[in-house]
Amino acid sequence: MDFRKKKETQMKTKEPHKNTSTRRSFLKGLSIAAAAGSAGLVTGGCVPLEKTEEMGLKWEEYFKKNYRLMTQEEKDETVARLERLAKLKDDADIQMSNQEPLDQVLYGYAFNISRCKGYMDCVEACVQENNLDRKSKTQYIRLFEMDPGQLDPTSGEGKYHHEVPVDHKFYMGVQCYHCENAPCIKACPTKATWREPDGIVVVDYDWCIGCRYCLAACPYWGRRFNWGDPEVPKEEMNRKQHYLGNRMRMKGVMEKCTFCVQRTRQGKLPACADACPTGSRVFGNLLDPDSEIRFVLKHKKVFRFKEELGTDPKFWYFID
Amino acid sequence: MKKLFFCSSLPFFVLGTVLLSGQSAMASGGSFMDRIHAADEPFDNTAIETAYQLPVKTVLAKESYQGGTFKVLARKDSISRYRCSVCHTDKKVGVRDGALFTHSDIEVNHGRGDDKLACIECHDEKNRDLLSDAQGKKIDFDHSYQLCGQCHFRQKRDWLGGAHGKRETFWAGERVVLNCTSCHSPHSPAFKTKMPVTYSLPLEE
Repeated sequence: MDFRKKKETQMKTKEPHKNTSTRRSFLKGLSIAAAAGSAGLVTGGCVPLEKTEEMGLKWEEYFKKNYRLMTQEEKDETVARLERLAKLKDDADIQMSNQEPLDQVLYGYAFNISRCKGYMDCVEACVQENNLDRKSKTQYIRLFEMDPGQLDPTSGEGKYHHEVPVDHKFYMGVQCYHCENAPCIKACPTKATWREPDGIVVVDYDWCIGCRYCLAACPYWGRRFNWGDPEVPKEEMNRKQHYLGNRMRMKGVMEKCTFCVQRTRQGKLPACADACPTGSRVFGNLLDPDSEIRFVLKHKKVFRFKEELGTDPKFWYFID
Repeated sequence: MKKLFFCSSLPFFVLGTVLLSGQSAMASGGSFMDRIHAADEPFDNTAIETAYQLPVKTVLAKESYQGGTFKVLARKDSISRYRCSVCHTDKKVGVRDGALFTHSDIEVNHGRGDDKLACIECHDEKNRDLLSDAQGKKIDFDHSYQLCGQCHFRQKRDWLGGAHGKRETFWAGERVVLNCTSCHSPHSPAFKTKMPVTYSLPLEE
């Protein structure tokens, strides 16, 4: 057995509530006491009550664990804290979920390069759904106009300012491929990114230290870095969020496509597949022999980008 | 000297063996494609409660998908002048009303080159509330895939399997797919050219 895997299973099997006197829990208790104490000291003065509540919540947030080590109770607590913090800070009524993966599900995606017309509705839907930074124009999906015979998206043109589709061109979308053997996961020094049991590669934004090793390791340009604090107009913000998905990121952390974890775990299609007006995007459960994605794999000419790297992407391109 | 060399190279040798065996173990651990192909148990779609009722009207398709049933989006509700037999009667129509009632806004751009389809190649000549295929079989507007499929049989085969067209909102739960006419205008089925909504930055940035 690969000993990294062994370590992971150890991490999972260890029950966090058994060893009650860890350094972290000690610090957490201490910090809460300190926050409460300092709050008590200053409330006689000029700090309003919301401010102290916000400070207390931030303290507790600061000492929380990696998401994978949290008990269900701790997950519920942090989600509640983040919802409350969003209300206090931005007066935003968000609903954050920490929904677990569904059983017997492994997500897969197929992209029809002979149907895509390059309208880019998927890119825009993704930006809206996932609360992507409008200031730096962050996009998870990139779409390129390609010459026939080319299969390398670096040769394509993304800034086409003309009506599409154009004759004798085809359009190819690139995003995170959610590799089964993902190089980005191996590169992460803090285990802030991992593959969920349903195959989605996610990031714990609160555990990411922003070293960008994953960005360098990914051969598919699938990851995005927040150089500044992401800005989303309040009226455009998607309030249905997931802890591992589209909740608001902060400066200095990595983010990426999550197959819209907040939607797909509720049985919905990712925003890109739902928005596509041409039906070029097929999404479904790879473990279900009756699913559309399995039909595509069985009956269509499919290929995966840079398959020779052995990363096993769960994203296929196909032609009619 | 020789002993020293042996001593110093031994750890590397051991390390190399460990690394190599580790790699081969990963390779022989079975690729995930094997796992996918081995999965032959249909997913229990009732496990997922669809969060809300679809805001669209659907009908049960008169075809089967993977041995089971599925639904398609209804069409008749979105045809503004349905039912057609309200106007298409034996009653005489005055010239003034005739200008109002003819389908002058419909441009047929369906068929190769100059050989465009005529109205009655799809619409039933007698009963205007129905369509009819080349063999004269009557087809309901909600089940237009039966008509389209007589020429576009490859697309229909892909549509039945799920490689053409798309599902409505949900990947799980009861299978509800878009009808042919949900995306293609039947009179002018090719997609129009239009400006892209946004643009993409080059990959190497």
